[in-house]
Amino acid sequence: MDFKLLPSKWLSKKNSLSASRDNSSELNEHKEEHPVYSLQSEMNRLFDDFFRATEMPMLGRSFALSPFTAFEQNGLTPRIDVRETDKELRISAELPGLNESEIDVSLSRDMLTISGEKKQESEQNVKGWYRMERSYGSFTRSVSLPCEVEQDSCSAVFKNGVLTVSLTKTPQAQTSTKSITIKKE
Amino acid sequence: MTSAIAERKKEEVATPQTGEPIRNRRVFVPLADIYETKDRLFILADMPGVDEQSIDITLEKNVLTINGFTAPNTENELKLVHCECPEGNYRRVFALSEEVDRDGIEATVKNGVLKLILPKSQKSMTR
Repeated sequence: MDFKLLPSKWLSKKNSLSASRDNSSELNEHKEEHPVYSLQSEMNRLFDDFFRATEMPMLGRSFALSPFTAFEQNGLTPRIDVRETDKELRISAELPGLNESEIDVSLSRDMLTISGEKKQESEQNVKGWYRMERSYGSFTRSVSLPCEVEQDSCSAVFKNGVLTVSLTKTPQAQTSTKSITIKKE
Repeated sequence: MTSAIAERKKEEVATPQTGEPIRNRRVFVPLADIYETKDRLFILADMPGVDEQSIDITLEKNVLTINGFTAPNTENELKLVHCECPEGNYRRVFALSEEVDRDGIEATVKNGVLKLILPKSQKSMTR
């Protein structure tokens, strides 16, 4: 932490730019109460979350999944479940009312994208509508994957309005988790 | 109106109207479209994971009940890491305002959508 960036210290005579380590405890106190610090830590946290999820997908899965927990729920964005084993990643999406030919699934490195268009069934001579709760139109949903997957061993099945995409983890991703034994001292 | 509908999430039925389930499974309200033509009523209901065998439709007087049952996920080796579509059945009850010809009801399930065609009875058509 650069001391020069402390606005609260700029005007104080006691703490000049040549601050010694002695007042580091005082610094820490300021850190907790000053709004600049809370803003800064909040910004750091946001940046961390963002970059960890995009650049370092192998570090784990809790954060890598967070970008798609915050998606906006509208009637069209498909809801998804993610399941995994040591070797496999399986993503299922609810897409009622679509044909398999109307769904597009693509994989680019660590991003799986499901898109498509749900068309309204046109019925002739509709006299009146009583309820219209289902949505129609095009949608897209991207999922950032928690680990690296084999690019060419990807399969998808569509059954009863549920799309299931199976992805195989790369050998590196499979071995990236290592359990650490805890010794008793 | 559309935004209010868009905000609807997978709603759970608060209290099942009839009977208490033996198994502890969630019950969701499927979203539905209802429209009519001159001689028929159409109901479309989104029930992903349901096929023709796992659906139960009853019409009692003017109360139409749709029950859809989804198969529980039996692959235990798969660990669920992110869940937006919790397991559960579907149930929705409609009160029909017009007399329906019971024998002519057609139900099809395709791609997780139930389509019900309810022909209006002659009595209600001539009224």
